[in-house]
Amino acid sequence: MKLNLFEDKNILDEHVDVYFSNMRPQIKQIMDIVKSERISLSGRPADDDLDDGEEILIDPKEVYYLDYVDRKLFMYTGNGVYRIMKTLAECEELLWNYGFVRVSKSNLINIFKIKQLKPDLNMKVYAYFDNGERICVNRSYKKEFDQYLQKMRRMV
Amino acid sequence: MKKYFSNLALMISISYTMVSVSATVCNIMLGGQTNNMNELLMFAICIIASVVLSMHGLFDSVSPLLMMVIQYLVACALIAVLLLIISRFDTITPRGWFELYRSFTIPYIILAGIYYYSVFADARKKESLIKDLQKQMGESAGFKG
Repeated sequence: MKLNLFEDKNILDEHVDVYFSNMRPQIKQIMDIVKSERISLSGRPADDDLDDGEEILIDPKEVYYLDYVDRKLFMYTGNGVYRIMKTLAECEELLWNYGFVRVSKSNLINIFKIKQLKPDLNMKVYAYFDNGERICVNRSYKKEFDQYLQKMRRMV
Repeated sequence: MKKYFSNLALMISISYTMVSVSATVCNIMLGGQTNNMNELLMFAICIIASVVLSMHGLFDSVSPLLMMVIQYLVACALIAVLLLIISRFDTITPRGWFELYRSFTIPYIILAGIYYYSVFADARKKESLIKDLQKQMGESAGFKG
């Protein structure tokens, strides 16, 4: 995508014009930034030793997957695990444009972090991430997963 | 529940039609014969298979392989009950039991194999789609997942 920047010291009404051929996730992300609605997830380190009470802002692009365990939602990144105070359904809606899709009752995965999608010998399909972890793609979410990939393919 | 039963009725109708037509074709080609009892037995087996397979939702927490084994064993148990009921009205030889289980097991294993292959093929297809998406997103606007 071509980016043109124009500096004008006298301009009073700063604005951004975006020319696009179809409304795809990147365009929606630009809209979020311009409208100051850039999605940033905040969470506290899941490890109590590292938790100093401060919330840390995390870029969704750094997140591998979200896991809901014991009524708590955890976010797995390359730098660590963070607990976030949102529901999985809220995150699913918020992160749709960022490649996140629900693959089970308790997991939301980032498809842009998937290294491999492979079934085991017992026929359970797992998404392997580049950090070495894996998450099972549940059979009952297969249809939604397929639809999401097809929608993304049409949009990207 | 209404939708479940209408889907089940559809599955039974389709499976019985397929089994019945296949049996007819085999009989024409091999010169075999069938009778009303066999037709009813085929229909009963189609009902058992459809009911057992429609319960796949109950096995979401277990692996598909284990699910297929459990479903096969449940189907075998139901067929045994069916044969015990029939044996009250007619004589079934040990060979008859064997033949019926063989007739049920062979298509089941073939279809399970097809399903097994389809899971692997589908995963490969999706993986390729994900790689394409990652590539396209990476190429545009410096976005890198």
